[in-house]
Amino acid sequence: MNFKLTEEQQLIQQSAREFAKEYLEPLVAKMDETREFPREVIKPLADHDFLGLHLSAESGGVEAGCVTYITVIEAISRSCGSVASIMNNHAMASYAIQRWGSEAVKKQCLPAMVKGEVLGAFAIYEHGPTPGIGPMAVVATKTDAGYVLKGAKAYVRNAGKAGVYVVTAVTEADRPKTAVAFVVDAQTAGVKVGERIATMGLRGCPVAHVVFDNVVVPQGALLGGRGTEIVNRTLALGALAEAAQTVGIGQAAIDHAAAYAKQRVQFGMPVFNFPAVQALLSDSNIDCHVARLALYHAAQLVDDGEPFEVESAMVKSFLARLGSKLLVDSCQVEGGMGFVENMPLPRLFRDIAGTTLLDAPADTPERAIAMSIA
Amino acid sequence: MIFTPEQLEIQKAAREFVAKHVIPQAAEYDRSGEFPSYLLGAAKESKVFAMAIPKKYGGLEYDSITQALVCEEWSYGCAGMGTTLGASMLGTDPLLVVGTPEQRKMYFAPIVDGGMAAFGLTEPGAGSDAGAVKTTAVRSGNEYILNGTKCFITNGGYASVYLIVASTDLSKGLKGLSAFIVEKGTPGFTVGTVEHKLGIRSSNTVELHFKDAHVPASNLVGAEGEGMKIAMLTLDMARPPVACAAVGIARRAIDECLKHLTERFTGNYPPPQTVQFKLAEMHAQVEAARQMAHHAMRLRDTTTSYSMESAISKLIGGDMVMSVTTQAVSLMGSYGYTSVIEKLMRDAKIMQIYEGTNQVQRLVIGRGLLTQAAKHMQKAV
Repeated sequence: MNFKLTEEQQLIQQSAREFAKEYLEPLVAKMDETREFPREVIKPLADHDFLGLHLSAESGGVEAGCVTYITVIEAISRSCGSVASIMNNHAMASYAIQRWGSEAVKKQCLPAMVKGEVLGAFAIYEHGPTPGIGPMAVVATKTDAGYVLKGAKAYVRNAGKAGVYVVTAVTEADRPKTAVAFVVDAQTAGVKVGERIATMGLRGCPVAHVVFDNVVVPQGALLGGRGTEIVNRTLALGALAEAAQTVGIGQAAIDHAAAYAKQRVQFGMPVFNFPAVQALLSDSNIDCHVARLALYHAAQLVDDGEPFEVESAMVKSFLARLGSKLLVDSCQVEGGMGFVENMPLPRLFRDIAGTTLLDAPADTPERAIAMSIA
Repeated sequence: MIFTPEQLEIQKAAREFVAKHVIPQAAEYDRSGEFPSYLLGAAKESKVFAMAIPKKYGGLEYDSITQALVCEEWSYGCAGMGTTLGASMLGTDPLLVVGTPEQRKMYFAPIVDGGMAAFGLTEPGAGSDAGAVKTTAVRSGNEYILNGTKCFITNGGYASVYLIVASTDLSKGLKGLSAFIVEKGTPGFTVGTVEHKLGIRSSNTVELHFKDAHVPASNLVGAEGEGMKIAMLTLDMARPPVACAAVGIARRAIDECLKHLTERFTGNYPPPQTVQFKLAEMHAQVEAARQMAHHAMRLRDTTTSYSMESAISKLIGGDMVMSVTTQAVSLMGSYGYTSVIEKLMRDAKIMQIYEGTNQVQRLVIGRGLLTQAAKHMQKAV
């Protein structure tokens, strides 16, 4: 048991904090207002190796491991949740390609993804009750040369900006168990990105539905694994990065609220001096601390090569309940000032809600956790 | 709660009004943050802004339960527009309990005619600490001269009449506060910065500036030094309607979840049990909060001492709506994050803040309990 980051991890964390201050803090308020995709930071992110932390050297990555990746996402999120969200979705795509892609696909995609030349998107959600079911589900039909994809993916992050989509599809309609996954070049004929969907927060990260209108992909585009395995493992990793976003945004809010409370005078003293205000801040910090410990534990399991899916589900479930509460209470410390848009907390309030979504799933995190106990 | 046929009739009319005039425009005004001026025209005929005003002054004189039902419907449609209505009622409330017949006649007339009221207590340095008001009112002959700045004043840019709390004697602190009627257009009285907010974005929140603003001495409501008492009576009245608004938002959140779920989960795929249970808990919380709000509203009509119940209704309602809407966004996933449900979560946040933060409500309740306990002890000894 060792709760200390290695020297290398600390250095990378430090560099992520400095990066966030230098590149993200100056543009975060404007990005929130204009909803503009922050294209200008993708190259600098790559130059700092932040897009290849979780990838092998062979893929062009730096093999820094999951804990390091999580520290970076947390540090970036303290300044800008949108960029962390873009990174997370990019990382889920590159992770799936590295783990299940053919040599040719890996060579074609990964170095460019690490350099930030090509952005990835992980497109798995659909409009039906569960992926693979219903008239809109993406169905892959085998042809002599490969497959034809037809259907639609819902709420795809990085949509429209991604050069490569990792897309799940069933090979038999209405049979989710036949799901497989493909790597699809965004330029392929028939890939149609829908109108950008306005999100509550994380507004720099574009979201849209993506239609696959008889998209022809070669045999080599098929990832070598069952769809459910690819989705579950990749989402388990994505959930950790999401949790790191929640923790980073939540901590930023707590810090801001504490600083505000120290300078806001009511009843003749800083409101920080009131026990009830200290209790609000303290309760939030407890939740944030507990979540962070559970998060880093799960990330260490990844680095140790141990199963981590259950721990990931527990962190996700915990934060689904408590993530937004960090902001609800931080805003409360600032009272009316926590509600006006020229202060930072309203943005953090909107951003953090996007990191704790459950997506009304048929397969809940609770199920994964309960199954592990029984 | 069993309602009278009249109450149900008015609830139905409010629901129809909201479906026609509030819901269709809510998203657009939420986006722009502009004030929906059209609404005043639409509401003029129904006189809904005068629903609390006695009939002898031309109002509708609804009982408090009926007002509760109307408030809930408006915030079901849009809490921003519901706040516009609620804040006008807040501005009207003080004159319902204090003031001379002449003052009432003058104050209520523009509201009966389709205008609005606003209540000005908060200042940059006086939030929860309302006694720290620095705006002054100095008597000069037959007038008072007001100087100072109010902030976060709802309806401030569009009201016809204002109830402003100012100090007639700074040395007396709380006991030096007094309440004044100020009319729109009074020289020296101007509207400042408009705030853009996380939620209730279509409601108008502004600064008010007083620079040697002369108001007739006859505009003093009650006596000098009664400002804080009047403000507290006003807030007692205004807190349960906030709880009703909270109930409206939360009920809408559940309806939107149900709409999405029934569209998404069809045929052999019912929503999972965990989702059903969460919906059940949300609904149970809404029902409980509504009962408490209606209880406090009924006390408004039957007693003068209900600060504790008023505070409880707002505490329960405000915390309930934050929890229910947060759950709704999380539970509905990406749909929740990109649909009307996200607006409900943003709108919910203010319900824990305005008309006294929920921390202030806890203070009111806690102090009330301790005072009661001390009295019992004295009796026992």
